[in-house]
Amino acid sequence: MIVEGSYPLPGSPDVIWDLLMDPDVLAKVMPGTKALSRTAPDRYEGTMGVGIGPITAAEFELTITLTDLQRPASYTMQIDGKGRFGFTRGTANVELASEGVGTVMRYRADLQVGGKIAGLGQRLLDSVSRMLTRQGLDALNRELTARLT
Amino acid sequence: MKPPPFEYYRPSSLEGALTLLAEREEAKPLAGGQSLIPAMNFRLAAPAMLVDLNDLGELAGITAAGAGIRIGAMTRHSAVERDRRIAERAPLLWETMPHIAHPQIRNRGTVGGSLAHADPAAELPAVMVAVEATVLLRSTRGERRVPAAEFFTGLFRTALLPGELVTAIEIPPLPPRTGWAFEEFARRHGDYALVGVAVLVTLDGGGRCERARIALLSVGDGPVLATRAMGTLQDSDLDASVIREAAERGARDDIEPPSDIHASEAYRRQLTRVLTRRALTRAVARAREASR
Amino acid sequence: MTAGPYFGMRIPRLEDAQLLTGRARFVDDVDLPGLLHVAFLRSDEAHGRLRGIDAGAARARPGVVAVYTALDLGDYWRPGPLLVPPPPIPGLVFHTATQVPLVRDKVRHAGEPLAMVVAESRYLAEDALEDIAVDLEPLPAVTELEAALEPGAPLVHEQFGTNLAAHVHQVKGDYASARSKAHALIARRFHYDRGAAAALENRGVVAQWDVRAEELTIWDTTQAPIPIRNGMAELLGLRESQVRVIAPFIGGGFGPKIMMFYPEEVLVPWAAIRLGRPVKWIEDRRENFYATTQERSQIHDAELAVARDGTIIGVKDRFLHDTGAYDPYGLTVPINTQCTLLGPYVVPHYDSEFTAVFTNKPIVTPVRGAGRQHGVFVMERLLDLAARELEIDRVEIRRRNYIQPDQFPYDHQILFQDFRPLIYDSGDYPAALDKAVELIGYERFVGVEQPRLRREGKHVGVGVVSYIEGTGVGPYEGARVTVEPSGTVRLATGVGTQGQGHFTTFAQVVADVLGVEVGQVRVSTGDTREFNWGTGTFASRGAVVAGSACHAAAVKVREKVLGLAAPLLGVAPNDLVLAGGRVHRRGSPDQGITLGELARKANPLRGAVTPGTEPGLEATAYFGPDRGNAASGVHAMVVEVDPETAAVAIKRYVVVHDCGTVINPMVVEAQVQGGVAHGIGNAFYEQLIFDANGQLQNASFMDYLLPTALDVPTVEMAHVVSPSPLNPLGAKGVGEAGAIPTGAAFAQAVEDALAGTGIEITEMPLSPGRLFELLQAAQGGVG
Repeated sequence: MIVEGSYPLPGSPDVIWDLLMDPDVLAKVMPGTKALSRTAPDRYEGTMGVGIGPITAAEFELTITLTDLQRPASYTMQIDGKGRFGFTRGTANVELASEGVGTVMRYRADLQVGGKIAGLGQRLLDSVSRMLTRQGLDALNRELTARLT
Repeated sequence: MKPPPFEYYRPSSLEGALTLLAEREEAKPLAGGQSLIPAMNFRLAAPAMLVDLNDLGELAGITAAGAGIRIGAMTRHSAVERDRRIAERAPLLWETMPHIAHPQIRNRGTVGGSLAHADPAAELPAVMVAVEATVLLRSTRGERRVPAAEFFTGLFRTALLPGELVTAIEIPPLPPRTGWAFEEFARRHGDYALVGVAVLVTLDGGGRCERARIALLSVGDGPVLATRAMGTLQDSDLDASVIREAAERGARDDIEPPSDIHASEAYRRQLTRVLTRRALTRAVARAREASR
Repeated sequence: MTAGPYFGMRIPRLEDAQLLTGRARFVDDVDLPGLLHVAFLRSDEAHGRLRGIDAGAARARPGVVAVYTALDLGDYWRPGPLLVPPPPIPGLVFHTATQVPLVRDKVRHAGEPLAMVVAESRYLAEDALEDIAVDLEPLPAVTELEAALEPGAPLVHEQFGTNLAAHVHQVKGDYASARSKAHALIARRFHYDRGAAAALENRGVVAQWDVRAEELTIWDTTQAPIPIRNGMAELLGLRESQVRVIAPFIGGGFGPKIMMFYPEEVLVPWAAIRLGRPVKWIEDRRENFYATTQERSQIHDAELAVARDGTIIGVKDRFLHDTGAYDPYGLTVPINTQCTLLGPYVVPHYDSEFTAVFTNKPIVTPVRGAGRQHGVFVMERLLDLAARELEIDRVEIRRRNYIQPDQFPYDHQILFQDFRPLIYDSGDYPAALDKAVELIGYERFVGVEQPRLRREGKHVGVGVVSYIEGTGVGPYEGARVTVEPSGTVRLATGVGTQGQGHFTTFAQVVADVLGVEVGQVRVSTGDTREFNWGTGTFASRGAVVAGSACHAAAVKVREKVLGLAAPLLGVAPNDLVLAGGRVHRRGSPDQGITLGELARKANPLRGAVTPGTEPGLEATAYFGPDRGNAASGVHAMVVEVDPETAAVAIKRYVVVHDCGTVINPMVVEAQVQGGVAHGIGNAFYEQLIFDANGQLQNASFMDYLLPTALDVPTVEMAHVVSPSPLNPLGAKGVGEAGAIPTGAAFAQAVEDALAGTGIEITEMPLSPGRLFELLQAAQGGVG
């Protein structure tokens, strides 16, 4: 599954970079995050619970490892999530480019989805991933706006 | 495919149900169970507690509401499908009913359950948005009336607050000189539609478009009101080329359809284009008939 | 040749009253005191190395009786048997890798079982699955056939150093030199994808160990109870006589319920013995999508060489066959493909080579049609394309290439799946084609209706295709016929029954031989205590092989009846008539005796039985055909396509079928109708969609679409009868026929409906979404 797009954010790439590396901020902006901590300089571990409609919060153990850190321009995340409903893993590339007074964030995630969610959830996967991405980016935007004002 | 354990309550009054829902945050109302129970059996849903609404006779039934109609939340689809008053007062809904799943599901599934569930592929939400119905909600805090277009807020999301139940839906009377049509494309009859469209067209005294409502399903997070397509029709003479243009507009600009194993985004846009054109053509013909 | 009052008649099925009123016993109906229930923990990953399983919490959960992992199985852990060894074809390569009861070191497909939970209820067992922690290191999966064979591809089975499971080359004539004489060469790549058998009833096993009798009883949804009985006895170290396998009523088999020795099938009886309590496992629908075998992925690169007049010069085919993660069923499926491609046609030169490939997907074994679909699809599509290129009518090009009725037996000079040469026994292909063309009104449709409808903006098309179904293979089946003192005739045979109508057709065969009413014949199938010699129900062989055995046993009993009645009635045996449940003097119906009375006399309590004779009116007989026989037919369908939405509606469906002598036309027609439904599913609705990681994308009936009664037209049917010389009934099989050529007919009809768009259909199945893409690619749509 490919999730990609771009999103305009206020602030410079440097400011955004710092936010994106802050586990407390990540925990706030990643939909359904119940806990997230930095367990190594480039590694975050936590728990997410994503509930869609009648689907009770699907709890995931999540590990994110950062590689290819090119502050403040780009980095790659290795995502590894596992729960009772199955798993998701893959890589996501994030690019930050100044544009005018703000920054455009470009992202492209290539995710494998397995288990129950893969077998039973195809009808909704696309919509759900779009919704979660949008929610996350909107939250990041709010967080940035709050910090910048 | 057996559900995990849960508590089960079957209150005999609406007040009782609302009290349970108010007291226990984890309580999940059970209406017809046509979506919730399979989700529980797959262990995708694990509500700790079910509040079964099936004994709440007060929530079932179809009544006149002025010149319009009121459908209780626990009214089964099959009851709506068979009620002549629906055919007379809410013909778009009447035409839609046989498209909802299979007869067995319609015998059990409820109108309120379908609305509260807010599946983006469900027919009823789109129809209710098209006909500008009002959703009636109750909680221990009181009653609210929410226009259908505001009730559906996202993917399986509604304006329902914790502890609140859908109690009924009110459909306003069909305006004069109005035509309607429902079209959908499903792989097999009764499947989740790949695309569906519910249309109402009202003519003015001169035969031009006074008002058009186009609500689409299965092309977004919930029912999608095709406002750009509607704008194309507004005040037009509704001839074939305008209809074609509106359908094109709707397919191109009004939706961001998902891709899945059954239909790509491009295929959904094509189906939207074709079905909207066909539905509008039929609805306009009916509106002209009604204007004679 | 039997020609009694029941043979060939439309007898309503004797088993239906029981089935329709809910009195039939299925495996899940077996309820025993103290019954325990099983749930399996299955791998989410398609490929991964198992590092450990912690089942401690699950074992501690109240209501859980036992949790087993591979390590807990001890010596009982061993890979399943190779059910069908490869046939003796020179140069053949075959790598054996059979399924394991529980994963010990490596997961090779999603849904492979990791642990078995036994609990007081299925609910509790499923609760406990969530307690088990699995440490599994994911490995890259291999799912695409061509990629699987590339160097460096992840290996499903490391020990072979390749994902190649088998390689087989069969040749007739000399295609390479013949092709230079061709007027035209038609070469294409064809794809056929996976579907599920999707029987109404999933699999299930109940086992009970009777500690006092030292007997194990297994109720199993198997098509082959006797091989399961024999295999389970061996696995468990029991005598065969200690094991009884009952395959009761079964809600559809379609191939995957053959003697697979599935993990669940071998573990449930083991647990029942170990725990000393009866144990039940019923597969749920979600499990079925992963744990029950599947079929159909192949990629063909085929070339047809034709003369100017459409005569086939030869065919060359190179194909890849997906065998999934293991290959316990050997090469039956791809060899069926290889053989069935030749169809009813004279193909002087044939060069066919296939490679079977291991992938990280569920196991492939025969599913109704068993590889025949692919062969028919490739050949029929090549003929359609040749007809178009040579401007010969589609029907005509087939007629020109048929094996003629006077050419039988016809030897195709290659080896069939039963290890016997592919020799057709009998047939009349032109007659079937003529009938089908007439029934569908081909000439009028193509000449008048289609152009008229096209002018009205309707896109209709017709497809007409032929096929052969190799059926009725050996080795043998048996039957025992007993006349009871009540006059009831008991018939026991070893084949299992999954809805085919055996209770009726076998009774018809026996009733005629013994002159009794068909309702007097009580059939028992699928219980090893009743009959314990035989193989099973597969390869469309029930009526042919078991039916012939029933006939042979009845004939033996009839001889006993005559031998016993002749002295009693004071006439020579050939002056006796068996009718109405009695044996009487020819011409004097009142001078006779009922078979029941005769049975009583044959089992005296006093006096002496003549030396050399046997008591009772009972006989057992066996039948083994020399080789399989060739059923055949023609399917024709009319479709209407909406090019704007890519919707396809099947308007008419005609089948002319030749399964030799027909025992019960109603049963045959029902088999064909059901087969067509299956075929329509495979053509238009059903597809198991795997992603590149081996994850099934549609593991429920929400997304895996089976055609319903609303989607399948009533088939208009006619029969051609070419009796088989290979068995006393003259019968050929019919179980798979309906499902075999449907895809080919569908492709031809849809293509015909969309003539002018340039669309070419070389793949099955064809969903509307895919048809839309093809239309876009061909010319951006029509209309």
